[in-house]
Amino acid sequence: MTLVVLVTGVPIYWMFATAFKTNQEVYTVPPTWFPARWTTDNFLDAWGHAPFGRFYLNSLITTAVSTLAKMTNAILCVYAFALLRFPRKDLLFLAVLAALMIPEEVTVLPNYLTVASLGWVNTYAGLLAPTFASAFGTFLMRQHFLSLPREVLDAARIDGAGHWHTLWHVALPMSRPVVITLFMLTVVQRWNEFFWPLIVTNTASMRTLPIGIYYLFTQEGATQWGVIMAGVIYVVLPVMALFLFVQRYVVEGIAAGAVKG
Amino acid sequence: MNGTTKRQLFGRLGAAAAVPLLAACGTQPPSATEGSGTKTAGKQKITYWGSFSGALGQAEQGIVSSFNAAQNEVEVDYQFQGSYEDTAQKLTAALQARTAPDMSLLSDVWWFKFYLDKMLMPLDDLIKAEKVQTSDYVDALLKEGVRNGKTYWLPFARSTPLFYYNKDAWAKAGLPDRGPRTWDELTKEWYPKLKGQTQNGAIFAHPSAASYIAWLFQGVIWQFGGEYSDADFTIKIHEPKGVQAGEFYRSSVKDGWAYAAKDESGDFNSGVALTAMMSTGGLVARQQNAKFPVGTAFLPEGPAGFGCCTGGAGMSILASAPKERAQAAMKWIAYATGTAAATWSMASGYMPVRKSAVSGPQFTEFAKTNPNIKTAVDQLAKVRPQDSARVFVPNGDQIIGKGLERITINGEAAEPVWKDVADSLKREADPVVRKLRALNA
Amino acid sequence: MPLSLSLPASAGTRERAVARPPLPPLRGALRERLTFLAFVAPNLSLLAVFSYWPLVQNVWLSFVEWNMIAPEQLWVGLENWAIVLSGADFRQIALNTLLFTLFSVGLTLALGLSCALLLNQPLAGRNAARAVLFTPTLLPGSAIALVWIYMLDPRWGLIRTVLSWVGIASPRWLIDPAWALPAVILVYVWKAVGYSVVIFLAGLQGIPRELYEAARVDGAGPWDRFRAVTLPGLGPISFFLLVTSLLSAIQAFDILRVMTAGGPVIATTTLVYQLYNEGFVAFNAGRAAVYSLLLFGVMLALTAAQLRFVERRVTYS
Repeated sequence: MTLVVLVTGVPIYWMFATAFKTNQEVYTVPPTWFPARWTTDNFLDAWGHAPFGRFYLNSLITTAVSTLAKMTNAILCVYAFALLRFPRKDLLFLAVLAALMIPEEVTVLPNYLTVASLGWVNTYAGLLAPTFASAFGTFLMRQHFLSLPREVLDAARIDGAGHWHTLWHVALPMSRPVVITLFMLTVVQRWNEFFWPLIVTNTASMRTLPIGIYYLFTQEGATQWGVIMAGVIYVVLPVMALFLFVQRYVVEGIAAGAVKG
Repeated sequence: MNGTTKRQLFGRLGAAAAVPLLAACGTQPPSATEGSGTKTAGKQKITYWGSFSGALGQAEQGIVSSFNAAQNEVEVDYQFQGSYEDTAQKLTAALQARTAPDMSLLSDVWWFKFYLDKMLMPLDDLIKAEKVQTSDYVDALLKEGVRNGKTYWLPFARSTPLFYYNKDAWAKAGLPDRGPRTWDELTKEWYPKLKGQTQNGAIFAHPSAASYIAWLFQGVIWQFGGEYSDADFTIKIHEPKGVQAGEFYRSSVKDGWAYAAKDESGDFNSGVALTAMMSTGGLVARQQNAKFPVGTAFLPEGPAGFGCCTGGAGMSILASAPKERAQAAMKWIAYATGTAAATWSMASGYMPVRKSAVSGPQFTEFAKTNPNIKTAVDQLAKVRPQDSARVFVPNGDQIIGKGLERITINGEAAEPVWKDVADSLKREADPVVRKLRALNA
Repeated sequence: MPLSLSLPASAGTRERAVARPPLPPLRGALRERLTFLAFVAPNLSLLAVFSYWPLVQNVWLSFVEWNMIAPEQLWVGLENWAIVLSGADFRQIALNTLLFTLFSVGLTLALGLSCALLLNQPLAGRNAARAVLFTPTLLPGSAIALVWIYMLDPRWGLIRTVLSWVGIASPRWLIDPAWALPAVILVYVWKAVGYSVVIFLAGLQGIPRELYEAARVDGAGPWDRFRAVTLPGLGPISFFLLVTSLLSAIQAFDILRVMTAGGPVIATTTLVYQLYNEGFVAFNAGRAAVYSLLLFGVMLALTAAQLRFVERRVTYS
């Protein structure tokens, strides 16, 4: 396990260490494990290059709204697919899956035209609309719902509970780890989204964090590794914090389930 | 003024969506980048898309701000869109959706594509109305943006390749403080003296296709008497002189004095590569970042003498811009490429595009203490515009660039590679020739 | 989509196998169907607008010559298809895609399962270990690519130093055509492992503990328990992981874009990268459309095959 942690951890450590090194030290051979002279200049530099405060706000808004909409869609859709009867729903499900097979490079331009015809270029609506549907989440949750003990759900139905009630009060509480896992993955995906926000926004006031790092990299002259790493850290820190926070609940949820079983 | 355009409406919707959220969070939007294109406080607002960030972006924003402060008719909203390629991609999408800006910065390989599909406005009437002295533009640069007697693209951030060298390394090797006159001088006489100062023996860094190797090779193929193509789109890269130039690049790596770099600019600045051909743009940043004094020189000569091309970007107004806004945009272009020409050049390293800027007191004074920028200006007298195969054929730059990667990285013989490249170029050139014929008819 | 029609109705097997509570026959069935539609409609209509509609447009575009700027599109029939399929680079691009996908997915799943099994043990510090493992998944692909470009640098990169400890000279990873593909696979796997660990863990922890205890009572050793309880218990989740890992590896883009831009020459150009090249570098909408349809076809076929073979086994076991 130590080995695994080292292999994955060292590049991350390296990222942090580099962010605190001076530009001269970044290019020394052999590389230094600890910054010889700790500096926070890179962080200040990166912050000065683009309106990161504004980018944080935009990323927060778009990630929160989009995650909420996506999760709702996934949960509703998956309940239907896993637990309700409908003729040839396997074909409909394949249709949902098929959305995972259409690369973003294919959808970007047509979606830009759609969004533009709605008048949503360079708006939150434009940033968000194409991200509301959920194919991945529906798939993940479906695999889990199929493994839920059928008797419990059916018991709820016999007790006269409606589908709405069964979904929110019976099925979901039994799915806590998966829901939280999906939540985490969705947040990460939305937070890091790059191509669509790049295309659909025109002004700094609408742009999101990943585009902020891109600003840092497109400068001419020497690549300022320290500054770039500092920018990357700006982007990553909130998601890391969220993960550490949420991880407890994943474990808790699992423990609770085990006791009940 | 005309009624509300679709784009203005979108802008307002965007602003409307943002306002409540902003109010809730108590944050102010950065005012300089809010674009709605309406007339505010009596000023005509125009939107300008550009491609500079970092130090260059700050320099450009500085010019925009001083323009906005200097007069009370036009307010320029400068919106950064990413690299030249990103800007062109976004402009393409925006044109389809009719959300294009009033004007845009376009690089040497991109403006022609938009011209070809009639997306750019002829500027001559606007120039006349603004009383811009076109004769003051450096002739060679101005001429590149003229098609069928009309001007579509005015020079702004124009560059040429320069021969950069590490002065410390030169001194250590006992070489004179100048660039080599010919490639032979560099490879036969100087290379043995410089070799010891490198890790793996190579002193010269080749860029990748993505870093525009086809632009830098343009001069080289001329130095060998070849060309990518003639003005009528007849592809000539695979003719004997072109093959000879290609073989020269192949041997550069095989003989050990050059290597294919991942980041030639970084390699040079950090002292790994002792010399490279790179753009004048970014010269200023390079002088700040390099750990050693940077030297610049004309490109070395080949068997057929000197050869060097222009490059960089210019400004165009979109055909979709309403007349009043187009005129306002012209006012800004006149300022950026006129009054501010020397300031911009001094801040960036791009060449001054006006004769009066070159000879003006501001620039001459600057050039005295910055001889490197003078190299670029002096070389300007000897440069030519690039061959149509790279700048006018769609994707020509990358087709030739990937061919050069095959030669320098894979070590493939130039002749078969150039044959493949010529075939691709011919195929891609067809639609262009067709459209040009229709335009000229 | 003729492919989908040949699919067995496997997805429904499991539900039907279980006895359902009695419902008033007609009214109940109708209500259930309406509920189904109401729950599914928002998602499906969004997908229709923002996923399928673009795909449909691509079918048309694959038959025209269009530079995405011109107002008119020129019908050229099958010319785009012919140019793409007979192109000198097509075989290498297809091979790159195959190698990248196979190695990425294989390594990701194998490493992911091993790490998940390890972290499922009550070891000290496993929460911290899990956090470290998952962190690469949190990072944007382009940022990861930047970190690794710097680490793989053959002159001052960290990997060079590490290799020199064991006396190996660093390859010129991203410039040498022989090493570029392994390098991007390495980085891709490094990023993707955390994701598969988390999913595998969720699956592992969903396996009822009594099953293990029952197996232990029956005298099963660790390997038997793994085979008899763990693997079948992971069935549905492995299927999910296999499908999603394959689909995302085939569509891997940002790491390639930042680390190699498909180079050197075309050593790391995959189908999706070539799609990007044609669409967003060469502005050739027709050929880009051909690549997107090819990609979609390959992925649909792979997924349908998996649904057919894997899911049937999963549901019956």
